Amino acid sequence: MSQAVAPVRHILIEGNKSYHNITEDLVSPTEKAPSREWIIAFSLSAAFLALYVFCVTWTIWKGIGEWGLNRTINWAWDITNFVWWIGIGHAGTLISAILLLFRQRWRTGVNRAAEAMTIFAVICAGQFPLIHMGRLWLAFFIFPFPNSRGPLWPNFNSPLLWDVFAISTYFSVSLLFWYTGLVPDLATVRDRAKGFRKKMYTIFSFGWTGSAKHWQRWESLSLILAGISTPLVLSVHTIVSFDFATSVIPGWHTTIFPPYFVAGAVFSGFAMVQTLMVITRKVLNLKEYITINHIESMNKVIVLTGTIVGVAYLTELFIAWYSGYIYEQFAFYNRVFGIYWWSYFGMMFCNVVSPQVFWSRKIRRSVWWTFFLSIVINIGMWFERFVIIATTLARDYLPSSWSYYRPTMIEIGLFTGTLGLFFFCYLIFTRVAPVVAIAEVKSILKVAGNQFIGKNANKNGNGNH
Amino acid sequence: MHHDNGIWVSTEDLNREDSFLQSAEQEFAVENLDQTTGNWQTGRRDFLKLMGFGLGAATLAASCEIPVKKAIPYVTKPDEIVPGVANYFASSFVQGGDYCAVLVKTREGRPIKIEGNSLSSVTGGGTSARAQASVLSLYDNRRLQHAGKVNGGNVDMMEWAGLDREVKAKLAAGGNIRVITNSILSPTAKKALAEFTAKYPTASVVTYDPVSSSALLAANEQCFGAAVVPNYKFGDAKVIVSFGADFLGTWISPVEYAHAYAKNRKVAGKKGAKMSRHYQVESHMSMTGSNADNRVMIKPSEMGAAIVALYNAISGNSGGPALNDKAAAAIKKIAAELQGAKGKSLVVCGSNNVAEQVIVNKINDLLENVNKTVDFSAVSYQRQGDDRKVESLINDMNSGVIDVAIVWGANPAFDLPGDKFKAAFEKVGTRVSLNTVMDETTAMCTHAAPAHHILESWGDAEPKAGKLSLIQPTIAPLFKTRQAEHSLLEWADSTNLNRQDEQPYYQYLKSNWADTFFNRQSKYSTPAAFWDMSLHDGVFEYEAVSQNPAFNGNVDVNAVSKPGDSEVEISFYETVNIGNGQYAHNPWLQEMPDPVNRTVWGNYLSIPVEWDGKNINGWNNLEDGQNVDVEVNGQKITCTVVRTYGQAPGSVSIALGAGREKGGCGVGFGVNVNPVLQSAGGHTQYYAGATVTANGTIDEHYACVQHHHTMGVQGKQGDKTINADEAVLAYQGSLTDRSIIFQTNISDLQDLEEKLTEFHEETHHLNSQTLYPTNEEFFGTGLKWGMYVDLNSCIGCGACQVACVSENNVPVVGKKEVKRHHEMTWLRIDRYFYGDIENPKVVYQPMMCQHCDNAPCENVCPVNATNHSMEGINQMAYNRCIGTRYCANNCPYKVRRFNWLDYTTADVWPANEERVFHVEGDSTPYYADNLVRMVLNPDVTVRSRGVIEKCSFCVQRIQEGKLTAKREGRVIQDNDVRTACQTACPTGAIVFGNLNNPESEVSQATKNAGALAYKVLEEINVRPGVSYSAKITNSNEELFS
Repeated sequence: MSQAVAPVRHILIEGNKSYHNITEDLVSPTEKAPSREWIIAFSLSAAFLALYVFCVTWTIWKGIGEWGLNRTINWAWDITNFVWWIGIGHAGTLISAILLLFRQRWRTGVNRAAEAMTIFAVICAGQFPLIHMGRLWLAFFIFPFPNSRGPLWPNFNSPLLWDVFAISTYFSVSLLFWYTGLVPDLATVRDRAKGFRKKMYTIFSFGWTGSAKHWQRWESLSLILAGISTPLVLSVHTIVSFDFATSVIPGWHTTIFPPYFVAGAVFSGFAMVQTLMVITRKVLNLKEYITINHIESMNKVIVLTGTIVGVAYLTELFIAWYSGYIYEQFAFYNRVFGIYWWSYFGMMFCNVVSPQVFWSRKIRRSVWWTFFLSIVINIGMWFERFVIIATTLARDYLPSSWSYYRPTMIEIGLFTGTLGLFFFCYLIFTRVAPVVAIAEVKSILKVAGNQFIGKNANKNGNGNH
Repeated sequence: MHHDNGIWVSTEDLNREDSFLQSAEQEFAVENLDQTTGNWQTGRRDFLKLMGFGLGAATLAASCEIPVKKAIPYVTKPDEIVPGVANYFASSFVQGGDYCAVLVKTREGRPIKIEGNSLSSVTGGGTSARAQASVLSLYDNRRLQHAGKVNGGNVDMMEWAGLDREVKAKLAAGGNIRVITNSILSPTAKKALAEFTAKYPTASVVTYDPVSSSALLAANEQCFGAAVVPNYKFGDAKVIVSFGADFLGTWISPVEYAHAYAKNRKVAGKKGAKMSRHYQVESHMSMTGSNADNRVMIKPSEMGAAIVALYNAISGNSGGPALNDKAAAAIKKIAAELQGAKGKSLVVCGSNNVAEQVIVNKINDLLENVNKTVDFSAVSYQRQGDDRKVESLINDMNSGVIDVAIVWGANPAFDLPGDKFKAAFEKVGTRVSLNTVMDETTAMCTHAAPAHHILESWGDAEPKAGKLSLIQPTIAPLFKTRQAEHSLLEWADSTNLNRQDEQPYYQYLKSNWADTFFNRQSKYSTPAAFWDMSLHDGVFEYEAVSQNPAFNGNVDVNAVSKPGDSEVEISFYETVNIGNGQYAHNPWLQEMPDPVNRTVWGNYLSIPVEWDGKNINGWNNLEDGQNVDVEVNGQKITCTVVRTYGQAPGSVSIALGAGREKGGCGVGFGVNVNPVLQSAGGHTQYYAGATVTANGTIDEHYACVQHHHTMGVQGKQGDKTINADEAVLAYQGSLTDRSIIFQTNISDLQDLEEKLTEFHEETHHLNSQTLYPTNEEFFGTGLKWGMYVDLNSCIGCGACQVACVSENNVPVVGKKEVKRHHEMTWLRIDRYFYGDIENPKVVYQPMMCQHCDNAPCENVCPVNATNHSMEGINQMAYNRCIGTRYCANNCPYKVRRFNWLDYTTADVWPANEERVFHVEGDSTPYYADNLVRMVLNPDVTVRSRGVIEKCSFCVQRIQEGKLTAKREGRVIQDNDVRTACQTACPTGAIVFGNLNNPESEVSQATKNAGALAYKVLEEINVRPGVSYSAKITNSNEELFS
């Protein structure tokens, strides 16, 4: 990868790693028998996945009436979950695409896992627009395909249709990007594997030999994909925000939504990456690759995006007041002090107040604080979407139709079920592919390995290889 | 093969070529037959192919259940039935004393919809929710299906002849016979009854009304010499004072009264128009009270004192019980106003106390209203019941002197006050029921001789003197039932009943009309022509002999009811939807929200709302949905609380008619309060002292369709009056500045017009700030459908809502689903309170799809399932809908309805029907019953689970109207298309038509209303197709100052 040298070098690989050490450390989790922790976590995820399958079947079988929605509040947990998952996915793309273009080296330690997380989060997100439909079996109506009904096309004015394109594009590009990055590493695994595993990895590594031509093409492709992905980071959540912004409902119909949603998405995505990384580096013993420096970098992004989100919240309130438009004013008044006030305060506390502790270097570099706050932020971002969706709908124009929403067990099961689905996928991923990009880490070893830079660098400037 | 007849088919044939001869030889060759040896040539492959196909086909055929379609063609098609074309038959809706002249719409021989009959001068084409819903009760499989002996809630089937023999033997035994009925409007039924009583001299008829007006009748008998209800002319009254009479909702002839009343309430668009002024003196907020210009709140027991106060103020007398100061001062002012409108005012009273009714008569006499607004030329027969006769009947039954009791169309075991009837009734040896369902009374009977539903019956009705109408069957009897009059005549061995006729009672009715009414007219020269035209029109009206009785009654101000000393009083009232239980088994009516409380499925205890300067609380801090124990007259009832604005302090109220125990879908909803009623002076008293205590439980299925009730009510905070509603929300301007309801008093009409003019200009300015081309050009030509709703005429009765349900196959979802706000109604009537928080005014706003030209729902649908027609209709393609519900979220009016569950049982699997509405005790859902499904309108798609639906402006009617106009080669006119809600409305509040035609009714109405016509949420640029006109009251603003 890029060989430009950052002005300030951080140690991003610790433990005097040689190239061989790196290969050993990162490939070995796919070769060993799973640890007990992994088995427990996997069983738990599988149980929640089963719950998810049950709840989806139940919903399709019985009808959306099994949820707590009503004539006034037609979306609540379903679309909240959708936006939440989509938001989480954003960190992966940001890390792999934008940080690549910005030459941020620290991304190499976390990009693989973050990209994987993106894929799995988009899979989870994609569930909800499907299962929230009253007639899932006719979901294919939303695709523009030639048909014998006229032909009848979908409504290109509808933001829900834009969603279909945005998310499917996002998913395909992310998957491609992720897999492209995986190919050299899969080849590495293949080279060490035997028997059946070797056969499988041979297929999946697409005949990678590591020739210079391969590397050159691989780098070009990575750059192109990064170029394609970069606008996606901004566009996907912008389009998701259009689901609300193009409506006439006060509280939804605001022009601030696109940047606000994107910032929120990156914010929640990084929080989720932190949650995963903190566990992964411990369980898979990757502390030397996913260092405190990595964690600190990501916490900086979190405090930045959290503050952007906070500014957006305050701007919304200001604009509502400043607009002099009573419906808007009431919508925001209702958000803060209305029937769902607790969700607004939950959101404010978790998203705006809590990340401010990261101004302290000590906390920023504390694994425990990071883990705790990443959970808090994920809860806060879920609240944000709930506030936007359910609170707004519960009190709109006509007071006669005002209503209240409570989730049913099925809805709760669906949400926790997608958590199961997500971790199920992620845990399998940790078993079949290196969770840290071997090739990329190797590429920065000489500029970010602790034996080369920093106080304790070897005097002769080389490692033990 | 070759015939020598000179006929050939081709040149090859003619030339007898070999190829032809060969093929002709093998023309009928069997494929697999070896032509040379004649042996079968079935190879292994063919065998396998055939076996595979056979096995596959057999498997498929055996495993796929092919639904049996029961479409049976007519063997001989009746002349009048053209499939796909509706027939309308003029008839009447009659239930006891409730009456409505109707047209019955039938499709392929099935009645599916009730319309008003505009030829009737009584109802003027209006309908009530009850009349609209009556078609559903026809298709009730809980109706009794055959005659027989009643045995433990079932009827052991007997042939009619056998039953007749048994009943006749009992009747002939010579014992005392009583026929128990509700008011009978039919002159021919009365003739049949007369034949019956003539045959059995020991027989007499006891008539009562489920909600009694017997004191009114008794007072009129005393004052004017006839126990009738006078012809109240609400249309001629400039000042109307009602003492607790719910004349727009339930009292005597509400459709008629509402029709007349509304004429003086329409002011929009009329320069210098004058409104009548309507005072309502009552304790609970009745539907009529909600429409009043001023309400004077009293405790129920103060009614007598209030009447006396008015009487004293008008007559200058004194004495009688004392009234609270506030009400007394108000009544003095009312009296002064009444005196200024002598002969043009009207005082009515719903109280069931003779002395009070006498004083009200005297007041009308003093005001010179008698023979003017209280007219005796076309008196009403709609209430005939006498409570005193019921009391003596119970005594007679108790003493064992009654041997046979015949119950006809009445349900005394449920709806009679007190609990004495049941025990007494059991002492009667033979108890025969002519009722149509296994109700509480029929279950106690020995024999059931079930009558037809009214839509299967012949009959007539005379709701008012000289105003007759006919009832004709619109379907052959569904079950082995028999016309009740036929049964009575049969048992009376009538010689006038020709049993050989296919429809004996038809002949009987016809000949009675020839004998009795033919002479009353001169238009038709033969009885046959007279009959045909009367049947065609449904009504026959003639001038009844005019009577001008003079008041001749004893006014005794001390005989009225005395104010009670109980801290809390409870009053019992009749609701618009289920009456005193007569309509409780009709799901359409049960699911129609109470106009004032907005609750469904059951009765709820209305408690006053209190304002402490800061918060709005229920009385005693009770909350909606909490259960309370109410002790009344020594008995305890447990009911659920609903906080009701306008409920007088110190009083609570609860509706009659809920808590049915037997006979249909109403069983199990609400609490029956009839047993706690007592009578005073021989007449049922509809109030009592009570103690109310919370019992710590809540009603889990408390179902109310509206959670927020107010639109800027005013309350005192210290010395200043503030917007109490918004003070509670702690945010001023949040509600009252919304452009949903505009209202004012007529004295400030000019101000409102100016304000609205400014508002329209502003919204026009805002809405024209757009980057997008407007679609005005698009809609400027051809048809553009629109609606105009006059909020001043709308009285909130709900007829439109039930009509919409009936027309558009809107499913019933049941109480539990309504509780979850899953009601499916396409048209709802929003009710808002405004004005003084303790005594608020009410505005009703029928809310249906506004058919926005810039519809927010349309552009968000990903699959184009909802889109705009060239005629301005926002339309739904159900088949295309995938159910994302974004349209419903984005609808500012929240009129879109989603099929959360399989409400109509349209899905192929029954596993998802658990939560769907089931009648208590039924294992299958309501709509799974093929009988119920007969009520469906074949022109309207039944929606399946997972799709959105909403008001279509009755697009099926529009299509029909367009076709009619096209067929007749003319331009479409107003009369070609009328929506279901429009035709149902008794007050003409809804006008529909083509907005592009400047002469159309809707264009005219909107234009005339001028600035007062507004669109709800006009400023958000959705461009609705429905205009509302501002609500205007004619309040006496000095009344309480």
